[in-house]
Amino acid sequence: MRQKPRYVEASRCTACGACAEKCPTKVPNEFNFGLDEHKAIYKDYAQGIPSVYTIDPTHCRIFQGKKCGVCAKTCQAKAIDYEQKEKFVDLNVAAVIISTGYELFDATRISEYGYGRLPNVISALEMERLLSAGGPTKGHLTRPSTIRAEARVRELAKRIKKAETDQDMENLGRFQAELKWLEAQIHKHHTATKLGFIQCVGSRDFRFHKYCSSFCCMHSIKEAIIAKEHEPQTESYIFYMDLRTVGKGFEEYKVRGEKVSGLKYVRGRVAEILEDDEHNPIVYYEDTEERRVKSMTLDMVILATACSAPKGVNPLAEMLGVELDENNFIKTHPNRPLDTSVPGIFSCGCAQGPLDIPESVAQASSAAARAAEVVMTGGLALAM
Amino acid sequence: MTISEIVNRTQAYYCLDCGICTGSCPVSRVTQDFSPRLMVEKVLIEEAENPYDDVNIWSCLSCGQCSARCPSKIDYPEFVRQVRKAAVTEGHSGVPAHRGLFQGVMRLQTLDVKQNKTDWAREAGKIAESGDTYYFVGCAPYFDVEFREDWAIDVMEGPRGVLKALNAIGIEPVVHDDERCCGHDLMWNGDYENFAKLARLNVDLIKSLGCKRVVFQCPEGYQTFKKYYPEVIGEVDFEVVHFYELLAKEFERGRFGFEPLDGVYTFHDPCRLGRQAGIMDAPRALLQGVPGLKLIEMEHNRENGICCGTSAWMSCSSCSKEIQKSRLREAIASGAGHLVTACSKCRLHLNCALRDVEMDLKIVDLNDLLARSLKV
Repeated sequence: MRQKPRYVEASRCTACGACAEKCPTKVPNEFNFGLDEHKAIYKDYAQGIPSVYTIDPTHCRIFQGKKCGVCAKTCQAKAIDYEQKEKFVDLNVAAVIISTGYELFDATRISEYGYGRLPNVISALEMERLLSAGGPTKGHLTRPSTIRAEARVRELAKRIKKAETDQDMENLGRFQAELKWLEAQIHKHHTATKLGFIQCVGSRDFRFHKYCSSFCCMHSIKEAIIAKEHEPQTESYIFYMDLRTVGKGFEEYKVRGEKVSGLKYVRGRVAEILEDDEHNPIVYYEDTEERRVKSMTLDMVILATACSAPKGVNPLAEMLGVELDENNFIKTHPNRPLDTSVPGIFSCGCAQGPLDIPESVAQASSAAARAAEVVMTGGLALAM
Repeated sequence: MTISEIVNRTQAYYCLDCGICTGSCPVSRVTQDFSPRLMVEKVLIEEAENPYDDVNIWSCLSCGQCSARCPSKIDYPEFVRQVRKAAVTEGHSGVPAHRGLFQGVMRLQTLDVKQNKTDWAREAGKIAESGDTYYFVGCAPYFDVEFREDWAIDVMEGPRGVLKALNAIGIEPVVHDDERCCGHDLMWNGDYENFAKLARLNVDLIKSLGCKRVVFQCPEGYQTFKKYYPEVIGEVDFEVVHFYELLAKEFERGRFGFEPLDGVYTFHDPCRLGRQAGIMDAPRALLQGVPGLKLIEMEHNRENGICCGTSAWMSCSSCSKEIQKSRLREAIASGAGHLVTACSKCRLHLNCALRDVEMDLKIVDLNDLLARSLKV
């Protein structure tokens, strides 16, 4: 097993966060999809386990050959170790559980949706971060274009100051005009209140994944309900082909979304997304119940991107000798849903296909029990 | 082919009724009368008494935007092609544009006619009687007769550009008087019988000349030879090459360069060349190779490019005009001063709409543009 260095001694770090507070280097926060920044010494997210800080060597000044060492000076626990090396650990195990999870479908592959090009077209996971109290906007539904505009306003303030000192009247006028426009935009689009949720982005699509990702209908409804709780003026439209709300209490939740939170379910998969000159996405679709092609201008579009098998699964499967299914998920036996093609190797959660949280949790317990059976019987359980 | 065979061939039974096709269709966006989804659905639920009577089967542009986005990979253009073929055998004929002039010219070419199709080429450059490379000029000479006087558009700029560029990189292609229309339009008009005749005449001619590869600038000719000739002829034993791919390869090798050209340009992908044949990089690489030329993209580009409004000289209507005008507005919105087309028909159709509107936009032919600034 390879253990990459954290450059922080896990047994000493108390996760007090003093190092990150003092660290001078800002890095786009991957966990929040680059919507905010963290420091070059960071914790992936607040609830991460083990609760230990990590240095990002691609950004840390020390690893770029520059003078720094602020974190080491700040750390009272003396946990910082710039010399830490990669470790290889040999483990003797009786059973293995593959629970490598899934990867979000890369929505840039559907060019007509403009993901990655249109700032206010985001994935459901980005929406999750925006709605989160611990997220980049502390739960306020700020559009990514507004977040960018705010950053540009800060930059313009500096440039205007410099232009004033330099008496650079030409640029000064230009910057001031841009600033005025941006400030008006930020004011106008302070909160995203008209939302469109697009279902089946990469799922149930022969071009990408034929299968249904199964959990997206529910998370779109959930996000739309939460958005309404955060801002009562919010209007949400869910563009769907079939709403597959299959599970205990799921259908009731869907009905509640419509009756209590006022969500509007529109039957029709969106054909394409364009935008107007204020970065408002415009969706084009056929309302299949009315048999009419329509367009709708929204503040923000949230794509229910498919659950894809993680890219690294092939070398892992090869190493362990387990078979994958046609969609690159871990192949399991229909009658023994946690068993892979190799005895003693089990799998749970999205590693074996799209699963929602309750099912993943149930599978995790079951996989642990299956592994325990093998360990505790000295392998005899495998013969049964 | 019966309607159920057509359904099987195009996988229409996979339809999920999601509406992506109709939401994507440039025709449906202008007129609600036409819907690819309902066209297929009517057949599937046997709502249509006789699908061949439905006038909407002639409204499809066969641009393929619906199929490219269809989550069930239903081949709508193929559905339309087969339904039209069957409709023609039942005596229907669609709504030809330009008084059916071009269909007439195409059908004439199935006969033993004597044509003069090489004089322009001898004036413009060097051609050979025999050799490895055949240059398939296509229908531009016929379009020229119809449009030069009326619209003041020199459609022959395209073929002349190709010939000059080929000469410049050391190729003297065979161009022949006996070349026929490739049959693309007749095939899409449902006239399969005459399409097959034209295909046979062209392939026999090229075989008799012993040419090993055929170069096209016309996206329709290229796609027809490549995709549809095998249906009636079987595999052809010559290579089918698109001019831009050939030229881009030579450009990459440093065989020639370009004289500088100022201005902001945008490229209109023809449906056959872009979305259908997948040739989107080569024309852009060539345009970007021209020093000083700034290439920008319209809102709909590459695989999302919009059709020029009419196809196969069929069903030209106010809907076509609306599609064309919205395309021109996109070009203006992108900030371009020049709209570059790579297909004679796109050029003609977009120019047709440009005559009706006041826009500061020039429509130029890619072949002509490249030949003018090419330097060896």
